Amino acid sequence: MAPTNQVLVKESSNVRTIVLNRPKQLNALSGEMVSRLLELFLAYEEDPNVELIIMKGEGRAFCAGGDVAAVVNDINKGNWKLGADFFSKEFSLNYLMATYTKPQVSLLRGIVMGGGAGASIHGRFQVATDNSVFAMPETALGLFPDVGASYYLSRTPGFFGEYVGLTGARLDGAEMLACGLATHFVPLEKLPLLEDALCKANTGDPNIVNNMINEYSSTPKLKEKSQYFRLKTIERCFSRRTVEDIISALEKEADKNMDDWIAWTIESLKKASPTSLKISLRSIREGRLQGVGQCLIREYRMVCTVMQGKFSRDFFEGCRALLLDKDKNPKWEPSKLEFVSDSMVDRYFAALEDKDWEDLKLPARSNLPSFAISKL
Amino acid sequence: YQPPELTEPAPYFDTLLLRELIDGPMFKNNDYLFSLMKQSTLFCPRNRGGKVFVGPDYNQSMEEQREMTMKRIEYLRDVGVFDGWFGKEGFMGDLWRFSVAESVSVFDHSLGIKLGVHFFLWGGAIRFMGTKRHHDKWYKPTETYEVKGCFAMTELGHGSNVRGIETVTRYDASTQEFVILTPCESAQKYWIGGAANHATHTIVFSQLEINGVNQGVHAFVAQIRDENGNICPNVRIADCGHKIGLNGVDNGRIWFDNLRIPRENLLNSVADVSPDGQYLTAIKDPDQRFAAFLAPLTSGRVTIAASAMNTTKIGLATAIRYSLSRRAFSMVPNEPEVLLLDYPSHQRRLLPLLAKTYALSFASNYLKMIYVKRTPESTKTVHVVSSALKAVLTWHCMRTLQECREACGGQGIKTENHVGHLKSEYDVQLTFEGDNNVLMQQISKALLAEFLTAKKRNKPIKGLGLEHLNKPAPVIPSQLTSSTLRTTQFQTDIFCLRERDLLHRFVTEVSQHQAAQGVKSKEHIFSVTYQIAEDLGRAFSDRLILQTYLDVEATVPAGPLKDILGLMRAMYTTIVMEEDASFLRYGHLSTDNAAVVRKEVPKLCSELRPHALALVSSLGIPDAFLAPIAFNWVEANATFFGVIIWVMVALLFYRESCKRVGASIELDTSSFEGQEGPESLATLLVTRSSCLWLLTSLANELELLSSLTPARLRAERARIACNPTS
Repeated sequence: MAPTNQVLVKESSNVRTIVLNRPKQLNALSGEMVSRLLELFLAYEEDPNVELIIMKGEGRAFCAGGDVAAVVNDINKGNWKLGADFFSKEFSLNYLMATYTKPQVSLLRGIVMGGGAGASIHGRFQVATDNSVFAMPETALGLFPDVGASYYLSRTPGFFGEYVGLTGARLDGAEMLACGLATHFVPLEKLPLLEDALCKANTGDPNIVNNMINEYSSTPKLKEKSQYFRLKTIERCFSRRTVEDIISALEKEADKNMDDWIAWTIESLKKASPTSLKISLRSIREGRLQGVGQCLIREYRMVCTVMQGKFSRDFFEGCRALLLDKDKNPKWEPSKLEFVSDSMVDRYFAALEDKDWEDLKLPARSNLPSFAISKL
Repeated sequence: YQPPELTEPAPYFDTLLLRELIDGPMFKNNDYLFSLMKQSTLFCPRNRGGKVFVGPDYNQSMEEQREMTMKRIEYLRDVGVFDGWFGKEGFMGDLWRFSVAESVSVFDHSLGIKLGVHFFLWGGAIRFMGTKRHHDKWYKPTETYEVKGCFAMTELGHGSNVRGIETVTRYDASTQEFVILTPCESAQKYWIGGAANHATHTIVFSQLEINGVNQGVHAFVAQIRDENGNICPNVRIADCGHKIGLNGVDNGRIWFDNLRIPRENLLNSVADVSPDGQYLTAIKDPDQRFAAFLAPLTSGRVTIAASAMNTTKIGLATAIRYSLSRRAFSMVPNEPEVLLLDYPSHQRRLLPLLAKTYALSFASNYLKMIYVKRTPESTKTVHVVSSALKAVLTWHCMRTLQECREACGGQGIKTENHVGHLKSEYDVQLTFEGDNNVLMQQISKALLAEFLTAKKRNKPIKGLGLEHLNKPAPVIPSQLTSSTLRTTQFQTDIFCLRERDLLHRFVTEVSQHQAAQGVKSKEHIFSVTYQIAEDLGRAFSDRLILQTYLDVEATVPAGPLKDILGLMRAMYTTIVMEEDASFLRYGHLSTDNAAVVRKEVPKLCSELRPHALALVSSLGIPDAFLAPIAFNWVEANATFFGVIIWVMVALLFYRESCKRVGASIELDTSSFEGQEGPESLATLLVTRSSCLWLLTSLANELELLSSLTPARLRAERARIACNPTS
């Protein structure tokens, strides 16, 4: 494939800085970019001259996600398998990053959402900063938190993962650090210094890299109104068995003690696609007991079922309402949680009934850290 | 360290399908509960080698462990696990209740028992022995733990023999009250789980005396503590003290000094006392009355059997995964050392136990199903099957844990690695809800009764799977071969033959004793025929287990999974024949055939060896509930030391800074309950914002932080940020 200018690489002896370069689209990952990243990561793993990979975004965002509008366009042209192909590559990239032998440092300026989170959280180091904004907003779009989110969201403290995954709540840099989605926090003005220092140090020794980032790090204060202080309430509500139970637990909390945060939380759950909420909850719950590879294989089944559009077209409706027509008024079908039965949810977790379709084949790895595997 | 996932062949069969088969219809509910436990700091999550493990902190004192057990239960209650406990109807409701009890036992036996006493014993007694007035009054507060129940049956002088208990209750018609009395020291209630610290109410088992006539054992509800936890008047309670395991359960002793309770507190499902003191019952025969009364409490044995299997799975999954990554000795100098599980002797130690565990798990599922679908007609079957399986499965559990402990070498000794410690946690299962030896003898008695009844009526024998006795005796080939050993026909034949022969021998022996000793009681004859009775009990259980295995196998379509099930069945039957001397003793196997059986074992081991990893993957215990040695035990041990130094240095700094600012050094314990060892200190320290900065920068300076893995680092960072500067 001809090199694309949507992904730029800066070489500095043994360090490669990968820049996501589609600033007008907030660096949303196109098929072209995903292919290129996959190619680069595969090559760098073999290349003895590469020791460290730095990832960052051009402009004001790190990466706003996968370019779903383009995917929907492809599918609307008649073949959902083009979409499946995109996700197959993207998930393989996520898996590669999660099991990568060389350290990847992601500098998370600005927006880190959906696929952007997938392209950074799985790596070894994530550096959040003052203007980082993290979210997995898929349920509002009729999709579900993918790119391995069922792995990393389910590993956040308590039931914060369910909360973030279902509501699409936005986290700032301090919150990312607090819940473990970032490994470090470096003030915005020091980020360029850190980048230079890493290039100069020219090493892939994770201990040294870690210490260098620590040198520029500071411990940010959580905002007074941070949702992270609501962990107890989140635990009481988002631990519940079903989405319906979660909402009624939240409503009970609201009866006792109504505030903006609870109101917003309930509101965002009510606005999201009912099908999305149910499959997302189950996905995060299953992911909690699985390794990252198993999570991606399951999510691939789910995303293909969504693309196929046989059981629900919420994803297309969500994209229409939020990305294309921008009327922000999606008409979900089924329209209510109680209409989404367990057997409907089951379909998203089963292998697709399509003779040309097969489960995601993860790239073979020589390195399998223990957190990447799970016996179940 | 190399993860077995990289070095072992890919699974030959679908491990998820096998998991569904072995875990039954409730496995998703199990996973939900596992997830709840994994996500709460009350369950002591700790990061070892990049993975999070949960498990109780056995360094805590007995009192601390008891408090933690209660806190964990309160957490589960707060997130709604027990909502609608009594409302869920039908057999799915029963299965759901079992699933909750089993899942929490995977975390900790104390937690399972504490919950089991409250919901299955106290709650079960209210449900099954009580009537509407009891349900209306106690269901709700039991679900919310406003009432904490216990179950006072066993006494110092009487355990398995419930009908011999000495506590006595009389009725006082003038006040319409019952008066409960502990007449002597041997009548004190003993081992009452929950009684020592928490329980507010108890079921009291007692002889009921009406107008001087003993009506046998009945159950009553009595309050033993008030809402503030003070012991009620006319009740005395003492602690049973420290135990070899299960210290998270507060077992106590209770005495009743003419405690008065309202007449309505008699659990009156089978018998009642009218206000004027008349004894009323529909079942005239006291034996039948007692049996009908206790029948529903078989649920205890069902959960014990199921928990025993889960514990066995933890042991095997840990020991087998360890044996697939730990090496010892080279065969040839300068060659890499050999994986433990590549030694035939190591295979022989673990793989037969694995196949047995599958067989016994299917049997445990079968027991669960006949219990939840029980009818008055099936009471006897449920009783006999539950007695047999409770004994066989718990014995298997203890034996397996011991073998796994040894197979893990020194690592098996660390409580962190579970396998060794679980032995003392689960030892009591051989005793409670019926001593295993007593249960095994009861089976033989029941079989004898069935046989004699059929003979007397001159009808074919029916039930308990004994129908094969009506057919001619199966014939065992005089020359066994490897392929014969693997046929369903042979396996069934020899197990049936053994049961049939032993039953006939038992019948003969009992009747000979009767003829010789004349009037001596039946019980006396049973007490001297125990040898054959126990052999028969075993033979019945083994045949039953094989039958349930075949029934499960029949539901699986031809393919890899069925192949593997067939291989494990061959292993199960062969190992039973090899290990139980009764096959030789009674001539069911000739010595030549016994040699063929013995030769088959290593062969089967080597055939199962490539599937070992996949077979333990299907066991349904999530990683977090296993032990560090099941995964990257090198890294798990590497990081730990770094953390200790880090915390020690930080602790010093903390004390210094406290002194400097004149603050109290007293530790705020609320933030580190549920944490273990050095990590609890770490948590504690990071809550102190004043030393937070010092801590991090110092650790950086000493390059100690750098020895942490990224996941570890994340967890530490998260903790630091969790407790921001106030």
